[in-house]
Amino acid sequence: MQHKTMLTRRTMLAATAGLASFATLTKSGAADAATRGGKLIYARYADSLLLDPVFTDANVDIWVSSSIYETLLFPTDDGKDVKPGLATAWALSDGGKTLTLTLRQGVMFSNGAVMRASDVKFSLDRARNPKNGAWPDMVGSIDSIEAVEPATVVLKLKHPDPTLLPALAMFNTGILPEGPYMAAPGEKDEDKAKAFAEHPIGTGPFMMTAWQRGQKMTFVRNPHYWGKAADGQPLPLLDEIEFQIIPEDATRLLKLKAGEVDGTEFVPYSRVKEMQADANLRMELWPSTRVTYVILMCKDKLKAGADNPLSNKKVRQALNYAANKEAIIAITTLGLGKPLQSFMSSATPLNIMGGPVYPYNLAKAKALMAEAGFAGGFEASVMMVAGNQDSTNNLTALQQMWAQIGVKLKIEQLDNPTNVARYRAEDFQMRHGGWTDDIADPSEITSYFAHYPSVHSLHSGWENKKVSALYLASQEEVDQTKRRAQYKELQEIYIDEAPILFLYETPYPVVWRKAVTGFVQIPLGNNLFERTIK
Amino acid sequence: MSRGAWLISRLLQIVPTFLLIGLAVFVLARLLPGNAVMAMLGDRGTDEAVERMSHALGLDQSIFVQLVGFLEGVMSGRLGDSLAFRIPVTRLIGERLPVTMMLTGMATLFALLAAVPLAFVAALNANRWPDLVIRGIFQVGLSSPIFYVGLVLLTVFAAWLRWFPVGGYGDTLWERVYHLFLPAMTLGLSFAAIVMRNLRASILGVIHAEYVDFARAKGLRARVILTRHVMRNALIATVTLVGLQIGSLLGGAVITETVFAVPGVGRLMVDSIFARDYPVIQALTLVLAVFVSLAFLVTDIVQMWLDPRVGR
Amino acid sequence: MRLFKRLPAPLLLGLAILALMAAFAIAPGAFTPYDPLGFDFSALLAAPSLAHPFGTDQFGRDLLARSISATAIDLQIALFATIFPGLLGTLIGLLVGWYGGVVDALFGRLVDLVVTFPFLVLVIAIVAVLGPGLVNMYIAVTIVGWVFYARLMRSEVMVQKNGEYIAACKVLGYSTPRILFRHILPNAIRPVLVYAVTDMALAILLGSSLGYLGLGAQPPEAEWGVLIADGKNFFTTAPWIALFPGTVIVIAGLGFSLTGDGLADLLEVKR
Repeated sequence: MQHKTMLTRRTMLAATAGLASFATLTKSGAADAATRGGKLIYARYADSLLLDPVFTDANVDIWVSSSIYETLLFPTDDGKDVKPGLATAWALSDGGKTLTLTLRQGVMFSNGAVMRASDVKFSLDRARNPKNGAWPDMVGSIDSIEAVEPATVVLKLKHPDPTLLPALAMFNTGILPEGPYMAAPGEKDEDKAKAFAEHPIGTGPFMMTAWQRGQKMTFVRNPHYWGKAADGQPLPLLDEIEFQIIPEDATRLLKLKAGEVDGTEFVPYSRVKEMQADANLRMELWPSTRVTYVILMCKDKLKAGADNPLSNKKVRQALNYAANKEAIIAITTLGLGKPLQSFMSSATPLNIMGGPVYPYNLAKAKALMAEAGFAGGFEASVMMVAGNQDSTNNLTALQQMWAQIGVKLKIEQLDNPTNVARYRAEDFQMRHGGWTDDIADPSEITSYFAHYPSVHSLHSGWENKKVSALYLASQEEVDQTKRRAQYKELQEIYIDEAPILFLYETPYPVVWRKAVTGFVQIPLGNNLFERTIK
Repeated sequence: MSRGAWLISRLLQIVPTFLLIGLAVFVLARLLPGNAVMAMLGDRGTDEAVERMSHALGLDQSIFVQLVGFLEGVMSGRLGDSLAFRIPVTRLIGERLPVTMMLTGMATLFALLAAVPLAFVAALNANRWPDLVIRGIFQVGLSSPIFYVGLVLLTVFAAWLRWFPVGGYGDTLWERVYHLFLPAMTLGLSFAAIVMRNLRASILGVIHAEYVDFARAKGLRARVILTRHVMRNALIATVTLVGLQIGSLLGGAVITETVFAVPGVGRLMVDSIFARDYPVIQALTLVLAVFVSLAFLVTDIVQMWLDPRVGR
Repeated sequence: MRLFKRLPAPLLLGLAILALMAAFAIAPGAFTPYDPLGFDFSALLAAPSLAHPFGTDQFGRDLLARSISATAIDLQIALFATIFPGLLGTLIGLLVGWYGGVVDALFGRLVDLVVTFPFLVLVIAIVAVLGPGLVNMYIAVTIVGWVFYARLMRSEVMVQKNGEYIAACKVLGYSTPRILFRHILPNAIRPVLVYAVTDMALAILLGSSLGYLGLGAQPPEAEWGVLIADGKNFFTTAPWIALFPGTVIVIAGLGFSLTGDGLADLLEVKR
């Protein structure tokens, strides 16, 4: 019980904070009737692939699918907590091993059918089926689910799980209607998902009505949506959203400036100032969980058999000290980024927040290189995805900076699948990388970055038994204070060991025509359009 | 050989070519490092996730099984589903192919509209100033990279002057022509240069040919000579060139479509290569091969029709 | 001097451009005091001025210096991306044209295979297999590009081999290699040479297109296409970053195609 009270209070606080920041963004608290309706055109860098919460694998799906499918809980707008979603209340009992959720009344799917507890059970069972998609582990702690009509769902857990509530706010636990899904053609679940996703049905504010792959996708307002605006009128405010796919950054921005689209994502950092200066546009920089780093191979030998100087911790620390992050942030992000304080972003819960790590210190870097026996430097190679301007900028700058400590850096541009294949084969010495969280919890990023058994710590081969133990303990630790302490120690070890080059975290840059307001992009990346007006 | 027999043998030659192309592309696609699962999952894939997805997409089958499946599909007209978009390849290509055909068609039209009259002007004023100016301009066109021309045209005519939309593709025919205007100009520029150069040379060749001298000696008026002899030969040369250049025009379409955000098959091809979307790469290659082969065939037929010596 | 007077003006202009490019490639330092790779944080994105005639990029690198230092790489691309396919294609064309028959029929299929596939897409695919970089680009261009030389050579050899002097060679009992390389090759090579010079212009365009896509020359090396790609995001605010390298590409391409045209006229090669 005590637990429940705490959660709700925190949630309330977060929700209020979210509302406050939201009010400053919109023209006025209550949208007047005149601004309702209309069609918004939003330019995206790449198209979605599959609009199914369980079988999807890509941000291009995840970031827009929350407009179609909703989850029991929602991430707060600051991305650090959860708030009521399709469930209005929840309570843990049985020592944290039973979660009872109360469903929101009067929620209807976009086909007009009422959402039932059985739909929720069906959707969660599908999400945790180990045969399905890439994400079942995120809800792996669920042992069984009981639907009590009309509005109660009870989850029995294998063990107490602090990540469960954020997991119920993650895209893969989106709720879809059992009947229409099971009626979709196809034998296997994968085939049904494919067919269902052609005309998806969810409880979200919009429904997808037309989709020409790689060209454009149309969302129209869901007339059955349960959400209400501040004036009591139904959400969403827009009638229609058209997503246009324009991969070239320069072309997207030209289209925006010409008024052919109303807004666009992923403004190159080099163009942000120009957009800010344009009187017809409004540049928005949304706090994000996006971190940029360079993975450092920690194994003694490289795949080809050569000795790897980076296996020495002092060398990795030297590389970190010799990198002038402030200068890199100035060059690549034009000052929009912030130096990392840990491997996770400052928008990720439980970040240590101990100030920027490895401040630029050339003398210290040289001393560490000498201590490690590499006073004369060495040659090293780094791989990146071909054509990515930010990576090119970062690595070109590092090339110059590391030359000061005798490290001669060779840049290898590879196309994306080649890059990933070599990453997975652990056939690299350094690799430029970026990450955004999918869940409002540090567990996901930590399992990839620090917990060796998951993916060999970003395939760097770095293994620290203490860190792995701390991570596993934290996965079952429901006491927030204790969990915070575990994460603090884990991050301190990680920073000292430096299996990555810590670069920067950056906001999501989104730019709009002046008339458009009310868009929200949460730190996890989800695009929220229900209060957007044009 | 009669014309009919010639046509049939010409058609029969295409079949083994398609088989070879299908095989070559199947092998080439699988030589690419990494696969669709890696392209989609990126950094987030655990080993289990990669395994599950590979299985779901049929990528864990042996190459041989995949090849048999592919060949069976081709024979029965099924080209499979896109690994990335999870919809039938035929639908994906069906949406995109008309865009590219219209783009290359407009580019060809623009190129001919500019190059043919100017080639005549240049040839009839050979080595005087109009000739030098025209050749100079087209020479510059031939030396300009498509992505650079596109960038400049886009900035000047779409962003600054607002005469044309910045990119994309419309819903009605007129909108489409309007959207594809700048891309077609970009794509047509170097093609126009090639046509102009060849046509000018061929006109010069005909003008100095003996039978024109003969015709002139017979007292035919200059205009008659020009239309009857020069035009016909020049046309043959141009048609041949258009046919031969279709391939490089499609290559140029890749870059043009990228710069102008035109949703055609050129961009789809490159995207699919980068996404390791084997079924799309394979099907698109075959479709483009049909497209190019048909262009060759049409060229041959038109040539035959214009020039009785061909095909005899 | 009389030789120069006899040369057509376009050829002279083309040769002059190529000579200037060669000078840039051989002695880049003689034309600019700046280091093409040197950062200058006090002059980021500086507009063209007396100090920086082409302006600077986002690292404060001098763009004149970068454009000039790129010349060596782009000329290397122009040479290697034509010499390798040219040599291979010439050799194959020579043999195919001479032997004919089954070899020729097989060759016909191969040509069909390559020409029905957009050249650029094929090169992109091969570069994706081998990995980006100049060496792999040469390999890709050779795999695809030899066909065009071979086709040209083949038709030329078909004409030559029926010539009277070849019949004479046969009567004299010359060996096949001797006939092929001492008699046919020198007589059949002119169109190939002319094509090669024009092809160099295309090679520069191809090299810069791949560089633009990130598949050609690798950073920090300056290559004209890479320079334009670097500048495309600044095109509305700092157009000089892309504009000047673009102009240099056009001029270089002009140099090659004018030279090619001039040579064609001079050698009376019909194209």
